[in-house]
Amino acid sequence: MAPQHGEKRTLTPEAFGKFLRWLSEDDELAVREYQRIRTKLIRFFIHKGCTDADDLFDRTVDIVVAKVESCEEYQNPLAYCYGVARNVWHEDTRERKSVPLEVDVAFPEHPDPKPHELELQCLDRCLAQLSPGDRDVVTRYHGQHGHDKIPVRRGLADGAGGINALRIRVCRIRKELRICVVDCTKRLLN
Amino acid sequence: MKSNLPDRSLIREYLLGRLDNEKELEEQLSHDICANDELSEMVESIEEEIIEDFLDGTMDSADKDAVSTYFLRPPQRQEKLRFARLLNNHLAEQHQLVQTISDMRPSAYTNAVRDRSEYSAPIPWWTHFKTYGQLTAFVVLGIGSLLYISALQKKGAGLESQLAQERVHSANLVKEAPILQSSFIPLTLVADRSRGDDSQIPHIEIRPSTRRIMVDIALQGHSPGPFNVNLETKAGNGPMWSARLLPLFSSSGDTRLVFDLPAQGLESDVYSFVVSSLLPGSGSGKHYDFRVELAH
Repeated sequence: MAPQHGEKRTLTPEAFGKFLRWLSEDDELAVREYQRIRTKLIRFFIHKGCTDADDLFDRTVDIVVAKVESCEEYQNPLAYCYGVARNVWHEDTRERKSVPLEVDVAFPEHPDPKPHELELQCLDRCLAQLSPGDRDVVTRYHGQHGHDKIPVRRGLADGAGGINALRIRVCRIRKELRICVVDCTKRLLN
Repeated sequence: MKSNLPDRSLIREYLLGRLDNEKELEEQLSHDICANDELSEMVESIEEEIIEDFLDGTMDSADKDAVSTYFLRPPQRQEKLRFARLLNNHLAEQHQLVQTISDMRPSAYTNAVRDRSEYSAPIPWWTHFKTYGQLTAFVVLGIGSLLYISALQKKGAGLESQLAQERVHSANLVKEAPILQSSFIPLTLVADRSRGDDSQIPHIEIRPSTRRIMVDIALQGHSPGPFNVNLETKAGNGPMWSARLLPLFSSSGDTRLVFDLPAQGLESDVYSFVVSSLLPGSGSGKHYDFRVELAH
């Protein structure tokens, strides 16, 4: 039986290896598929407002691993894992219904003020590493406050092929920046 | 080709947790998002859009409530919100500064006491000063050259001496660019003495050309002020400079004091801005330490 929330995991390397084999006979493909499933299921848990998506993913894998023997013939591992993840989510929803949020989530503070300065330095570095086109878009997109941003974004959307295409592009650039800043800050702190 | 992706407003409802009671629709959408990479990317962009709307304050109260109680539960989204706020403030501040400089109002920062307004995170403004300083020098140099040519056409005599004068003038203008660049230095203080590390206090280098220090202090809490700011040595001698200031507030509720003060009179030493609220019962002041090094 898979461990419940809060219990220590009992997943052994052998069982995990078996799970990877179930995903693919090829090691590289198996790892890639595992990462793809992980990304998608963690995003699923986040979409459902879960506070501990990683933990829920672990629980999902534990359950799937325990059942790998009986689902060897299953052709679509992602779909199978997703089905299990939904059950884990339902279970988690029942458990957490009465647990209120204790922190002001709308104003998350940096745990330590010192990295904030480093983060700004890194942000400048990472902005400089963007392609000129991406840098121009993100700078203009975020460069205004209030009503000033409306005409600027409209102009950018015209150039990007519509407002939705612009949003997707800016989202991608921000993600790239976020990853870059996290890496850079970690490097400077070490 | 028109894709078969669901409506953005439906996805928005999904992300705000409003479809959780519509089992069939929620199940279908969750499945599709998991299986369809294009839809997944679209969902991600709508997620960012919700964060933007929340930061901009353009949401109605029901949406705002859904964001606070459901959408922002996962720490990953809280981190996204924090980063979006950082990026917004940083880039908006840069933009504002460029506008300020281009309006030729370099003293905008010198109004120490201001009403509430937008603020942003510290920015590398000196890079823009360099550019503008050089541009100014270049334009004035161009005008000087035109005057010279005009004079040349009118007067044959005295040509050599005018040329020499213009060269001296041009050389002076070029020299002015770096002076403009380094006449202001920024100082950002985010941790007061109780939270900081003595061995790593911020430091500034004051050069002979430095005229003023631009100070940006990030305050803890959300006090509306006003604040007394005194400059003392770390040993407590002073105040050497003092002001009564109102803080700047961002739309997200962060509070800062932004002001400038003359660099003259400061020696190589550790100094401290003592910031105390004038509101009754606010407790004693907080010390923001920094180190000054005089460069010769």
